[in-house]
Formats: sequence, structure tokens, C-alpha cells
Amino acid sequence: MPDQKTVSLTIDGVVVTVPDGTLLVEAAKRIQRDIPVYCYHEKLGPAGLCRICLVEIEKMSKLQIACNTLVTEGMVVRTLSDRALDGRRAVLEFLLANHPLDCPICDKGGECDLQDYAVAYGSGSSRLVEPKGRKPKAIDLGPTIVLDDERCIVCQRCSRFDDLITREQSLVVKERGERDVIATATDAPYVSNFSGNVTELCPVGALTSKTYRFKSRPWDLQRTATTCTQCSVGCALNVDVRHEAILRTMSDPEDPVSDGWLCDRGRYNIAYLDDERRLTSPLLRDGENWTQIGWDDAITLWAKVLRTHPPSAHGVIGGGRLLNEEAYLLSFVFRALGTRNIDWRTGRQFETTAGSFEGTLADLERAQLILVLGVPPSQTAPILDLRIRKAVGRFGARLISVGPLAAGSFVPQTRVRSVTEIPPAAFDVRRIAVVYDGISRDLLAEANAMLRPLQAHGTQIFGFVAGEQANARGAEVLGLLPRDGGLDTRGIFSAAVGGGVISTLACFGADPLLRHPDRILVERALQSFDFTVVSELFLTPTAQRAHLVLPARSAFEKTGSTTNLAGTLREVRAATAAPVGTLSDGEMLVALAAALGIEIPSDPEISRRVREMIGVPLRGGEELSFSGRAPTPREGFELVVAEHPFAGGGTSLHDARVSILRPHPQVGIAPASAQAAGVADGDIVDLTSGDRFLRDLRVRVDEDVAEGLVVVTAGLPQAPANALPATGRVLLKNIRSVREVVASGGVR
Amino acid sequence: MVLEKVLTAGIGEVDLCDIAVYRSRGGYVQWRRAVTELTPAAVVVAALKSGLRGRGGAGFPTGRKWEFLPEDGRPRYLVCNCDEAEPGTFKDHELLEMTPHQVLEGMLIGAYAIRSHHAFIYIRGEFKRGYEIFMRALEEARELGFVGQRLFGTDYSLEVTVHRGAGAYICGEETALLNSLEGKRGEPRLKPPFPAVRGLYGQPTVVNNVETLGYLPHILERGAEWFASVGTPKSTGYKVLSVSGHVQRPGNYEIPLGLPMRTIIDEIAGGLRPGRKFMAVQPGGGSSACLFEEHLDLGYDYESLAAAGTMLGSGAMVVFDDTTDFVKAAHSLVRFFAHESCGQCTPCREGGHWLEMTLERILHGEGLASDIDMLLALSAQMTGINLCPLGDSIEPFLASVLKRFEPQFRAYLRKPQVAFAR
Repeated sequence: MPDQKTVSLTIDGVVVTVPDGTLLVEAAKRIQRDIPVYCYHEKLGPAGLCRICLVEIEKMSKLQIACNTLVTEGMVVRTLSDRALDGRRAVLEFLLANHPLDCPICDKGGECDLQDYAVAYGSGSSRLVEPKGRKPKAIDLGPTIVLDDERCIVCQRCSRFDDLITREQSLVVKERGERDVIATATDAPYVSNFSGNVTELCPVGALTSKTYRFKSRPWDLQRTATTCTQCSVGCALNVDVRHEAILRTMSDPEDPVSDGWLCDRGRYNIAYLDDERRLTSPLLRDGENWTQIGWDDAITLWAKVLRTHPPSAHGVIGGGRLLNEEAYLLSFVFRALGTRNIDWRTGRQFETTAGSFEGTLADLERAQLILVLGVPPSQTAPILDLRIRKAVGRFGARLISVGPLAAGSFVPQTRVRSVTEIPPAAFDVRRIAVVYDGISRDLLAEANAMLRPLQAHGTQIFGFVAGEQANARGAEVLGLLPRDGGLDTRGIFSAAVGGGVISTLACFGADPLLRHPDRILVERALQSFDFTVVSELFLTPTAQRAHLVLPARSAFEKTGSTTNLAGTLREVRAATAAPVGTLSDGEMLVALAAALGIEIPSDPEISRRVREMIGVPLRGGEELSFSGRAPTPREGFELVVAEHPFAGGGTSLHDARVSILRPHPQVGIAPASAQAAGVADGDIVDLTSGDRFLRDLRVRVDEDVAEGLVVVTAGLPQAPANALPATGRVLLKNIRSVREVVASGGVR
Repeated sequence: MVLEKVLTAGIGEVDLCDIAVYRSRGGYVQWRRAVTELTPAAVVVAALKSGLRGRGGAGFPTGRKWEFLPEDGRPRYLVCNCDEAEPGTFKDHELLEMTPHQVLEGMLIGAYAIRSHHAFIYIRGEFKRGYEIFMRALEEARELGFVGQRLFGTDYSLEVTVHRGAGAYICGEETALLNSLEGKRGEPRLKPPFPAVRGLYGQPTVVNNVETLGYLPHILERGAEWFASVGTPKSTGYKVLSVSGHVQRPGNYEIPLGLPMRTIIDEIAGGLRPGRKFMAVQPGGGSSACLFEEHLDLGYDYESLAAAGTMLGSGAMVVFDDTTDFVKAAHSLVRFFAHESCGQCTPCREGGHWLEMTLERILHGEGLASDIDMLLALSAQMTGINLCPLGDSIEPFLASVLKRFEPQFRAYLRKPQVAFAR
């Protein structure tokens, strides 16, 4: 690579050398010179709107804005000359003229750029005699955001974010001149998977999160840097705590994984920690009732059950909520006991690598062709989806979504049902990324067949699995996989039903009743086990059918690490104290090992082994056995199961503040198919397949759904999609209009 | 005084909207000649030699503007700016309605000069009649093969698209115009990049005023030397001037540049009403500073007006006699600019509105003695730091009349309350 050309310039008497093409505002940062900005943002680029960054440049008659001035050789810049400071003071006087100055009741107070710069560069008083302009306040912009137009300085960071970064283009400036306001283009609610980012971008207190309004002062918050464990991306997360309560979470602008953004699930789904339904004591089933018992009794009972059954009779399911160290311990303890029936694969996702293809999120950004196979990351890993939008929208990559579901990425896409339908010319690029759901193995096989030869000829192929479980990859690497002849999840449940080979089940951070593709099988198995122990935060559908429920701790309440979808180890740190009466899964396993007399490695040793194992490349395309499929009947519609960032029976279900973001049970159907089936948008229907059924779904006629399909969302406890056969065909039955439903006294 | 008419020749005498009439006077001959005989470079050279400067307001040399387009193989666009809205200006309005074919021929030649295959005209929304007339003219020209594919048997093709604005002053600013033309909010763009590099739909683009383009057929017909011989060395050729205000014959007049302003006001526009005294003239549209009695012998050209601290601008001359209330005049103009501010950049959005409110308060008898200095200070501090020229347009008129006629402003101020009267 040739040496990049540099230029030298003088800023306030200091010579600084920077690459050619650097903006003056960035060059000044090199010498720790603070040039104030409002509309400029590193990731949004210059806009030239606020005019606060005025500087004096020799040989130029007017003051110049540092945000849109490229450095040139020999440029002499004065950021603190009298003229520059006069310009700043003038802009601040104008900005504050109609600003309400309600800092004492503003959430931004203490971390507000307007406040800070007014103190640093403002004049301290205003010459305005007239009353300040009045604009709407406390506008309900959408389910997550409140807008105060009086505080707004119209820097357009929010609308530019919604245009340049998310590509959704719903936020705009309306009206003109001093009357202008931020709004959505259609006045519809501002709904986005990424809405919370605008509150961080807003340099003043105009955009605030509903979850954080009037909660705290920034100087009263204690910050912990950790990793978000809501999905497999593993974004860096700054957790702000006051009085042991998590009040808000913030992004890390420097994080290479998240690119400095957060999705709303990661940002807002925190109130479950304090939900009153949180489990705080081990619960023992007593017929139809629960009895609270102590931890000693619970562990003793569990150890006794494990000892009184042969090792081959135990089934262990460890879900994606486990940290790396906990997954390692779970595998270690049960393997020490002699059990081999261990699997992390609770739901539909059955693998964590896309064949032999690997990559980082930075690689994804550089890809020229992106294939999304199956369930798109917009439904499972929003921040990865945002990288796709960047690759397509900013760098011109081509996006092809393969399978029945659209990518939902707000950038141009080509839709095909099979990799073989893709025109061969599309593959004539140097870098290709495959984003796979870990479910649609046929699509991956097609992609493999197409891409392996290209890879052999020098095309770079990057692979990502944006699956439904957060730490699936860590769980798989650290041993929660039946590689040595043990039974997988379906095998465990089938063995329990058919003759009782498996008689105990331990579920850690997993909810197979809601997530496993075959709900009927899980239901029957849960009735068959002699003893089921479930470690959970809440009484999830699976926990409700357990014999012993152990109250667990969330990832905000324990320390360790997690593995993201790119195979990177990410640190998790406790940000707040857990409720009294809970233990982390790791602590439970340590206690269990002690009760069983199993010697476990020390904490530092576990940590060392985890780091070593995560660092080893994965199995590289080896065929993974997974007994998932059911035969397909012919009549009716093909069932497609989609995901949703806020689906699930755990943390989002038990968070009152994000309940408005949860999806409603509905069935998506193409207009022509709807007509053929005799249903209209808004009707209520049941889906049936043989003797299996899913009741009371609202019909959503959706042009994005292909003909002959119906789409339902996985992971909704009130309408669990896994009650239907995973890949079968379904009929629409019992069609009712909303009026009929209301007249008959509501849904059942 | 008899002046030679160029752009305005025939207006009021014959129906120039009729393509047969326009052709009988030599119309479209230069267009055919350009395509069949001249290279684009030759047209650019003609424009350069003629010294033609942009007639929309900025006065930038037209040929040099064309030369800024990068030679990188991307498609190029010519956009004719017919969003005339500068206070006091009404020349493009008349040219569009009275000489639509001349406007079109100018656009075609300009587009050919920059090797564009698609020209656009952005017509102010209120010019409905002009729009309809231009559309008819375009259809006639298309039928005769002057617009479209493979013109005059050559490989050169040129399409013309007509776009109507919606009446926002800011859309006359060329980058706001381009945004509006693309269907976006009419806000000026941050420069650089300039339209020559990234203009309409991101492609190299030239935006020229109606009058500027209108002179092109004449420059080709009569030669660049002819145009350059008229006017002053730096302000060559003719200019259509919109004269209004307190004169006896307001209207559009085509003059050779450099004519003394006294001649324009007294002889061409009929002078002031009997018994009235001249107070001020705003020489170049609402954005320009006023000139006074002592300036009237200055020539009306770019450099003389600039030297006097004002500008020729769009060529709109507004004359004020001694019946003028300059507080009301200032308020009216400030209110216009504040109302038309797009609001995206801070000084213009906040400063304009602030000045408007202050002037309104003064008009209502609530002015404070400190307001005089504050008006000057505020208008000065909002000038020179804006994203586009709109925010810099308030200060010139306000400051020039406030300094000259300060007693008029003081007369409006709140009278001191006399304590313990009687």
C-alpha cells in the first residue's frame, strides 16, 4: 500500500500533520483542540447547519466552518482568535434566543453540549427583549421517544441518522424558518429498531427516551462497560446505574462490533430486572402449587436426583443466556457425572457457523454481495442488519435475500427463493458475505455449492450466523453439543416420551416449550420426566412445567464473558447487584458440583480454558446432525416462521416498559393468497395442521409475503408458533371479522 | 432616450410566442448552427470572449462557470433557473411569458456548450401563465425537431424537462433549487462540493439564469466582440433592468451596462413624481444596500456598484422618494427574508426572526433607545457566517437605511415617561 499523502498545517500555533483529505475539525482533535460542534458528527459527516465551529483561517476573508473545511498544506488556523470567538458567541446568542433554558428540569442537563458551550463561549446574557418563541413540548414521537421542539436546535442529527444510517427516512424537518420542527414525514409514530440512538445523537435535551425521562442526573450515574447479551452480535454497552437500579444503557462510540450504535431491544429491555414477577427463591412443585425452599435444600434435592438416576438418563439443555464460563461449567459438571446428552440447541437454530465461512462485522461492511439466507438479521440481530444497510446504502453492495422472508433492511434488495435463482453475474465480485439464520440448512447447502468453488478461485467469502440465541456460539465451542454419541434436544425429548430412557432434564436459560420446533413433543416430554429443573429469571412456559425452578441472575448481575457471532470473546461485567435470593447459573453449578463431590477448576483456570477454546477455529463446515424435520403435507399454505427482536417469553415479556414494542400474534399473507383463502386484513383466524393448531391470529395482508405462504412470528407465549409442525403446510380455519369476535365476547 | 433592444426586441410589437414569428426574426438559426457547425468548445469560447456574466444575481462569468465541469465522463445537466423571486425583480417573468422561444433556444445552446443531453427549467410556481406558454413553445420546438433525439441529422440529442416550483424564495438559490428539482426539501446544500462537481442527481451541473441564457443566441449571431464592445470592460453587454418604486414609469428596461443611474431614473423610468425629492435607491434587488443622492452619477455596472458597497444583483432597482417610511420599508424586507429562511442554519433562522420582531416592536411604539445599536449589531453578527446567501441578505438594506435615516427610526422609539408630570 502506498504511503498516504499528508499535509501539515498550523492550528493555534501548533503544527499538525494529518492525512490529506482530513476535515479541519478532525485535525484539531489531534492536538486536543476543542472546536465546538452540534450538527457535525463523525458518523454523519458535515452538514454546515449550526455554524458553531467557526474558525479564522489566514488568507480567507470570512470565518470558515471547521466541519466542512478540508485541510491544505500550510493552512494557518486560529480557533481562539477574537474574530473566531465573536463568531461563536454570535451563534450561541442566536441558538439560545428561542431556547427555553429549562436546564433545571431537562434530562440532558450536565451532559448537554448547548449548556457546556454556552458556559465556555457564550456571553452570559441575552439582548432578546421579545418573548421566546413557543413550540410543542413533550410530543409523543413514537413508542420510545419524546420530543421537545422548544429545546431543539434543528441540527438534524436525528433526521440525518434516520436517513444516512438506518435508511428509514421517517424523521424529517417540517415547516420553515424559525417555525421548523422535527417530525415524521407522514406524522405516523416514529417506529424503528434503532430509535434510541437519536437520544444519544441529540446534542440538547430535545429527544429523550421514555424509559429515562426525569429519572436521574448524569453526574449521579455510575457507569459500567459491559456487553449486551440480548442477541448474538454482542455490542459494547455502557450501563448507567443509580442506587443499584439500571436507569439507562448507552452505546460505546468506539466499539468496532456495534459501530457505535445500539438497537432498541439492547437499549431499552432493562426494566425486567426489577419486575415483580422476577424469581427470588428456589421453587419446588407441590402438585399444582409451588413451595419456596432454601438454596441448600434445592441443591441437595437436585444432587440426589442426579445420583439416583444413571448418567445416561439425564438430559441437559443450556441456552444462549449462559456466559462462556457457565457453559463450560455446565458441560464440565455433567460430563464429569458421565452424561453425554447435552445440547445448546433449544429452538430452531442448530448451528453457529455458515459452513466454513467466517468474518468480522468490518468484513461484512466491505462485502460487495450480501446473501441473507432464511430469517433475516433485521428480526434477530438488528445491529448486524444496520451493517448490511451501511454496506448497501453507503458502499454500494448488492443485497439478495434468499428464502421466503424479505430482508427488511430499508435498502434495495433482490428477493429469490433459492440460491440457484441468483443470476451468475451477481457473483462476479471479490468479496461476498453470507448471513445465515442457522436454520435454513438447504439454503446454506445451495450457497455452499455456489461459493466454495469461488473461494477456491480467490473470492473472499465471509460467513455470519445471526441466530435466535445470544451465546450460541460460545455454548457450542465450550461443550454444550452431543458430539460423543449423546442425544440432541429432540433426541432427549423423544427418548423421554418413548419409553423413558431419559428421565431427568436440566434446562439452563432455555425455554424449549416456547422455542423448540415441536411444541407437542416438548409438552409430552415435560409430562414424562421424573424430574425437571429449570434455571430462569421468570416462570417461563417451560419453568411452569418444571419440578424445581432455580432463580437465576441476568447478565447485568454477573461477570464473565460471552462469544459473539463472529467468534469474538466479549467481556461481561456486573453492573448492579442481583436481587437477594438469586444465584448465577455458574454459582448454582459450583454448588451442585460440591454436592456431587465433583472437583471443578478454579475461576482463573476456567477463564483461561474458555479463552483458549474460543480462540480455536470452529469445526469448519463439518456436517452437524440435528433431527429437526417433519414430513410435509400438500394442501394449504406453506408455513414460514419469522422472528422479531422483541419476541420471547423472558426478558421482554417481563418488561412493562417495552411491552408496547412486542409483536402481536398475527399471520402475514400475500394479497392474492388472502383473497383465495377468503380472509381480509384484520380478520381473526386459526391456523391448523392435522390435529395441531394456533388460535386467534390477526391477518396482516402484506405485499412482502410471497404467494402461497403464511408467516407467523416465533416465540410468542400467547400464540407459540412451535405448536404447528416446523415445516409443514397449514390451513386457515375459523375465519372471523373483528366485529364478530367482539360480538361473541372476545377471543378465547 | 432610445436604447437598442436585444432580449426585449419585439416585445409588445409582435407575438414572439408564435414559433413562426420567432423564426421569421432569425429564431433557432443559431441553435441549428451551433449543433451542425460549431463545436461545444466554440460556444464556450464565444461566451468567454463576450464577457457575459450571470444575470441572476451573482454576476459570475458564464463561460468560466461552464469550464468548471470535470471531464470525467459522467452525464452533465444544464438547469435554467426561472425561480425569479428577488424582491423588486420581474424581468425573467416577462422574458418567459413574452419570449419563450428565446429562453428555450438559450437553454439549448447552453446545454450544447456543456455537452449535456438533458436540460431542465425550474419555473417559479406562481408563473402559471409563463409555464403554460413555455410548455406550448417547447411542444412547437419539439415538433419542428429542435428538441429531442438526433437533432438536425447529427448524433446530438437533447431532452428538456420542465419543473414547476412551489413558490419558495430559497429555491432560487441554485443548490436549494437542485434539491427541490430532485423532489427533496428546498434547502441549500453545503458547499463544497459545488454543483459543477456534484449537482443534480449527483452529476456535474450548471445552473444559469433565464436572462443569461437568453443572450446566447444573440452572442452567436452577432459575435462575442459585439457583446464585449457594449458596456464597460468588466461589465459587458446589456442587462434587463426592473425599475420600480417611486418613479413615473416603472417597468423592465434593457440597458447597456455602465449607464449612469441618474439617467436610468430620470430619463428611462420617467423620473420621480412632480415635487418629490429623491431619498435612496436600492440598485440590485432586496438583498442589496441602498445608494443615495451622492451615488447617482455612478455607472450601473458590476464594479462601480461593488465599489460603492452594494451590488448589481438581479438588476432590480427600487427608488424611494421623500414619502418613504424607511422603518416600515426595512420591516417589510426583513419580514420577507425571515419568512423565506429555510431555517436550517442558525444565524439566518434565529437572527432574521429576531430582527423582524424588534422592528415590529419599534413600529408599535415600544422601541428602546438601545434597539438602534442592537439592530446594527445583530444584523452585522448574522452576516457572513451563513450556509447560503439568504442570511446575508438582511443586513445591507437595513444597515444602509438605518445609518442614513436614523432619525426616522428614533422617531418611533418609546417616548420617555415624564415622572410627576404637571
